[in-house]
Amino acid sequence: MTAFVMLDGVHKQWSHTVAVGPLSLDIPQGEILALLGPSGSGKTTVLRLLGGFETCDAGRILVAGEDVTAVPPARRRCGMVFQHYALFPHLDVGENVAFGLKGRGTREGGRVAAKVAEVLALVGLEGFERRRVQELSGGQQQRVALARALAPEPRVLLLDEPLSNLDPALRERTRRELRALIKRVGITSIFVTHEQDEAFDLGDRVAVLQAGRLEQLATADELYDHPASLFVATFVGRANVLRGRAAQALGGRDGQVLVVRPERLRFADAGVPGVVRERRYTGAAAFYQVDTEPGDRLEVLAAPDAARVGDRVYLEPLGVIAFPEARG
Amino acid sequence: MNPRLGLAGRAAFTLLLAWLVLYPILIVVGAAARPDALAAFASRPGEWRALWASVWISLASVALAAAIGVPLAFLFEWLEFPGRKTLGSLIALPAVLPPFVGVIAFLFLYGESGFVARAVQRTLGLEQAPWRLQGAGAILLVHAYSMYVYFYLFTRAGLAKLDASMLEAAQALGAGRWESLRRVTLPLLRPSLAGAALLVFMTALGSFSAPYVFGGGFRLMTTQIVATKLNGELPLAMVETVALALVAVAALAVLRRTEGDDILTALGKGTAPRRRPIRGAGARRLAAVAGWALAALLLLPHLTLALVSLVPYGSWTTETLPPVLSLVNYQRLLGEAERLRPLVNSLWMAAASTLAALVLALVAGALGARRRPWQFRGPIEGLIALPWALPGTVFAIALATTFSVHSPFTLRWVLVGTTVLLPLAYLVRNLPLTGRAVLAGYRQLDPGLAEAAASLGAGRWAAFRRVTLPLLKPALAAGGSLAFVSALGDFVTSIVLYTYDNRPISIEIMSSLRLSELGIAAAFGVILMVVSAAVLGLGARQ
Repeated sequence: MTAFVMLDGVHKQWSHTVAVGPLSLDIPQGEILALLGPSGSGKTTVLRLLGGFETCDAGRILVAGEDVTAVPPARRRCGMVFQHYALFPHLDVGENVAFGLKGRGTREGGRVAAKVAEVLALVGLEGFERRRVQELSGGQQQRVALARALAPEPRVLLLDEPLSNLDPALRERTRRELRALIKRVGITSIFVTHEQDEAFDLGDRVAVLQAGRLEQLATADELYDHPASLFVATFVGRANVLRGRAAQALGGRDGQVLVVRPERLRFADAGVPGVVRERRYTGAAAFYQVDTEPGDRLEVLAAPDAARVGDRVYLEPLGVIAFPEARG
Repeated sequence: MNPRLGLAGRAAFTLLLAWLVLYPILIVVGAAARPDALAAFASRPGEWRALWASVWISLASVALAAAIGVPLAFLFEWLEFPGRKTLGSLIALPAVLPPFVGVIAFLFLYGESGFVARAVQRTLGLEQAPWRLQGAGAILLVHAYSMYVYFYLFTRAGLAKLDASMLEAAQALGAGRWESLRRVTLPLLRPSLAGAALLVFMTALGSFSAPYVFGGGFRLMTTQIVATKLNGELPLAMVETVALALVAVAALAVLRRTEGDDILTALGKGTAPRRRPIRGAGARRLAAVAGWALAALLLLPHLTLALVSLVPYGSWTTETLPPVLSLVNYQRLLGEAERLRPLVNSLWMAAASTLAALVLALVAGALGARRRPWQFRGPIEGLIALPWALPGTVFAIALATTFSVHSPFTLRWVLVGTTVLLPLAYLVRNLPLTGRAVLAGYRQLDPGLAEAAASLGAGRWAAFRRVTLPLLKPALAAGGSLAFVSALGDFVTSIVLYTYDNRPISIEIMSSLRLSELGIAAAFGVILMVVSAAVLGLGARQ
């Protein structure tokens, strides 16, 4: 795999205590990469460094082999979709999309208009050229922002929390549409999100960031099944974290922290004894909160009729992930 | 409240406002509709010259004020340099100088016997003063100094609301710094710029002090009206008044249209752009030095006034700087009952008119503070805003005309020559200031609060006193302090309507100048300035 976008030891110091990097990332052409992390993890800074809105204190950024570290945003050819879209309110939809297209003279005008129509069709907004941006729904505004970013045919597409401004009912559908559209265009894309579902659904690979550092860069399956750190294990997916005596009860060695996914715990005839305290029904399955005798509360995902509140049960782990305590 | 009673109350209130604000204007229009007066106006070239001068001086004032205020706003909002905060607020200082006081400060500073002229004369060894501060240039100088603040404040507010991601979006689409400025920043600032332009144009159109003192033979419509009235050509003065009012209304209509709607900023949700520090120690020092030099230049009129106020009568003749300084002017001013009189007059008239304007604004707000759409809303808000749209001279003439006749059946009484008329004029001129603030305050109130008070057993009056009034305090303080300060420093309406018994400070300053008592005039100016600044500061603190 050859890197189309490359971050090489990129570092940005905000203050004595807050810094991002040093960070290295390779992104092959056409990949959609998710930058996932809690707020303050530096994911937005990484995106803004890529777009040129922040300058690195150290390291290099390469796009298609060209060092763009010192190239200002206006000449970097990165399309950007902003969190609140940043549509120009004094321009209509067509003028917004045409903003980055050169040549507004009469001769070139036809070419620009054709390009605007083409990109608007791509995002499913044919004939919206003369609409005011204020009249559009949130989803439509998001698509105009996307069309505007794509119109100048950038080399890289950057998206800052592209779905956070949509109402939840719309998000899942938009996610799939967005992915299909980016794949159709074939543009290398990097987006920021703090939601795991979004990162998994939309990204080919996910880079998990924590306190300015890259914890792991992998596919969704790998992140879930083989987390590189306790942070990734708990941030990605639901997890029971066990320490000390409780960890030893599940076969952990001294000084180890164990992580058990709720679906990797099973009600059995023998194992860790406990009492079911709560049951949360989700339709296909149910989450059970079990207080174990060692004094932990574990979450178990099982069939809806597997147990009732008050039942005495035994828990058997089907798979545990072990980390040395120090890394936590 | 009984709905029919409420309706009657609103109707009565609307009529009261109409009598106060609209009726005098209509009377002037009626008085102007006389063929001989119209013919006299149309046939005299001086009239058209004055009208045209008013228009072009106002347009030039807008251009000059924008040329100074807009770059300053960008400088202070977008760049970071030592002393930015302090300088940024110092720069708004011309606003605390009442118009007439500003004018005499300029006279002392740049006039033919002012400090600067004396210094130049001495340095170059000239026989005579190097220049005379007169005509259009002098008027524009004063206007630029006192009105750039509007552009400065409006542009800064607009820039602070600007969404940084808009500029970043433009950059990401390939626009450089100048292109972003031209294609994104300036269009987004349009409502702010148009608002400032409107304010400057209206202020310049109604400006009286500067053309009165510096105009000489160069007449603007405001000074022309007063001169015509003094000549006793009352019908002609009415026509002139109506002509000036028409220009004001036309300008308002045109500029309101370009102002556009507030929707421009409605989409923005992000934060304002971060300030860029000026890099390079040399450039930073230069910016700081230039900034302080500018602040000194802006403060010079204030300092001049303070200095001249310390000069005893007749002690300063040909020297560049006054040789003797003492507090004797202040002692005389505060010690002699006759001298103290104008100060007391101005204070009570400003206080009474402000209080009355606040009460009227509160009534308007209370009548409108219902959930269901209320009748008379348009007329009431329009009447309250009207005095803002018309120059002070227009209202002064209108009130003088209306209340010079005893005719109770047409609601006219003789008030000319009494001490009541001037505070009444202040009240009319204050209405838009208190009205705008209080109505805005009411709009921000949650109507549920009054209902909550009612559900807890508070009657209408108790709910008003214990809930509404405390919440409106900032709005009342803001509108009230502005109104008080503008009434305290008023010259435009005072010169038409004052009597010997209620002569205000500005008139006393003028007569002191006529008697060459520069020190006394300046001392009054300083007192006016200090009280204005204190009241404005108090209003902003609430």
